[in-house]
Amino acid sequence: MNDIVNARIAAPTLTETAIPIEIFHQMRTANLTRWQTGAQVDFDESVAWQRALPPHKQLAVAMRRAHAERRCLTQPRGGFATLAMQKALMIALDREGLADIVPTTTDSYTRNEQFAAAQNGVNESERLERSLLNGFPIVNYGLAAGRELIEAIDKPAILLTGTAMPKLTAEIGFAAGYTGYLGSGIAYTTSYIKELSIEEGIRNYQYLDRLAALYAEHGVELHRRQPGFLTGTNIPPCIAIAIGVLDCLLAAAQGVRHYGLELAQTLHLVQDAAAIAACETLAQEYLARKGYRDVFTPVTSLHWMGAWPQDEAQAATLVSYGGTLAAIGGAVSVTTKTTHEAHGIPTPLANAEGLRMTRMAIYLARDIRLDGLPEYEREKDLIAREVRAIVDKVLEMGDGDAAVGTVRAFAAGVLDVPWSPNRHVKSRVMPARDAHGYLRIFDPGALPLPKDILDVHTDGLRARAAAQGVPYDRDLAIRSVYELSEPLAKLMPN
Amino acid sequence: MRVRTLVTGVIGADTHIVGNRILGMALEEAGYRVIALGALTPAADFVKAAIETAADAILVSSLYGQGELDCRGFRDLCVEAGLDDILLYVGGNLVVGKQPWPEVERRFLEMGFDRAFPPGTRVEDALAALAADFAGRAV
Repeated sequence: MNDIVNARIAAPTLTETAIPIEIFHQMRTANLTRWQTGAQVDFDESVAWQRALPPHKQLAVAMRRAHAERRCLTQPRGGFATLAMQKALMIALDREGLADIVPTTTDSYTRNEQFAAAQNGVNESERLERSLLNGFPIVNYGLAAGRELIEAIDKPAILLTGTAMPKLTAEIGFAAGYTGYLGSGIAYTTSYIKELSIEEGIRNYQYLDRLAALYAEHGVELHRRQPGFLTGTNIPPCIAIAIGVLDCLLAAAQGVRHYGLELAQTLHLVQDAAAIAACETLAQEYLARKGYRDVFTPVTSLHWMGAWPQDEAQAATLVSYGGTLAAIGGAVSVTTKTTHEAHGIPTPLANAEGLRMTRMAIYLARDIRLDGLPEYEREKDLIAREVRAIVDKVLEMGDGDAAVGTVRAFAAGVLDVPWSPNRHVKSRVMPARDAHGYLRIFDPGALPLPKDILDVHTDGLRARAAAQGVPYDRDLAIRSVYELSEPLAKLMPN
Repeated sequence: MRVRTLVTGVIGADTHIVGNRILGMALEEAGYRVIALGALTPAADFVKAAIETAADAILVSSLYGQGELDCRGFRDLCVEAGLDDILLYVGGNLVVGKQPWPEVERRFLEMGFDRAFPPGTRVEDALAALAADFAGRAV
């Protein structure tokens, strides 16, 4: 037995299969000793704490209900360095922002498991009486502080942790009563770290998904969620969805039966609505192919994740339009930004206003759908063909195993993410906005897209170059990175 | 005129690489030799790269708000390494939240940066500043 345990911990072969429970217990014990607060986690006591939460503070319940009732929930992001600041923020988002889901974003030192640096950030923030961290260092604070935050609000809470190394954060978060956790092995490893391999990132999230499944085995359904925004910079729907499907298959293999998928808005009404619809359909299609017929996959739409305009009036338009796009697309929730986005972390007031702007937009659009509109149906078909071309190739490369296929596909560039900081991602693919406002692919790198599909992309982009009188080159992609952050005087001069 | 060498990167635990990469492309097009360290670069790595490549300037990017912690003592690190006079720029979303720029700028100039650039700075502004500063320095 010990040999098997050691083999798994020391040099296991990567597969998608569920981590055996006895090995998982060993992994948890090792994990929880890595920082002093880990010892505060007692699984049985944590299960009891979770089970005692009322239904309106359980995100899994809220997402299932919203999906059934075709409602779009609102959720911001938000994290500050100290417990007092974080508590005030979460209360403001709950009460002033009318948030349906209240977040805790962890700071970037915690995301990189630099807990000593995070502690220094807490100390300096207390000394200067302002937050010097971009999130809340929940691992440093530990279980009691996490529970104090959960008790301060009257909504479900989600952890937003932008990390390829979620194992301690997740243990403490679930034990504290967070009922949602955003993150996945493929998406975050390609977006939030430079050196870690795709394989190690997948392993780290196999741990998290196995943990969520263990809670489920004990009667606690948690909302796991995949962060589909990737690098947040002009991600075409097919790339986001292909990776979302693969992350979903990996989670399902660990036993997760509630797995949300995110899509960043392209800000094209038809493309965004088509992407949201196609995302859930394709996730279910591949889950069924693998024999999983009971996985709930609600889709979350994200306000624009690229560069934002400095002008608060322009930014307010992206916020409220983002509510419109999420509602018309039929997203189950929307993750909001604010008029402060170009400047970094928003104040609680600006954050609450972003929520209310979005909420009003959702209200206005609540009964509008695009079903049957030819352009919408055409775009859904296009996305489905693109995603199948990519995912089928990845699964083929892994001989049916999503984990193995993913690692091999990134090495070959068959899976690729634009603008990735990770050394193990080719980042050859270059997206750009076309003549009709769609996000298309200028350079596909080694993505296995058929020629007739690539022609659709190329035609739209050549049309843009012709209309603007500029060369058909890489600058199309680079200008698309900044376009929406430009002042109105440049975008639309009198 | 000799080719100037610039070290670029995103400091600390920050993953925001897109703007930094686009800046690097523009700097290369303008004729500079660019040593791009990429995202998540510790302060000490900038200094090490500057020594190894005999760089003329270090351009530090920070977009995630924690730059104020990451950049403390940056000039001291350079001085300790014998790079007393190396040109130091920093730019991005340098602090947590929307704070008055003159105050933020003063904080970073006091840390020893020669220039600090606010959120939304375009590559043309960085190129103009470099040209002006190098023109004022003996080769």
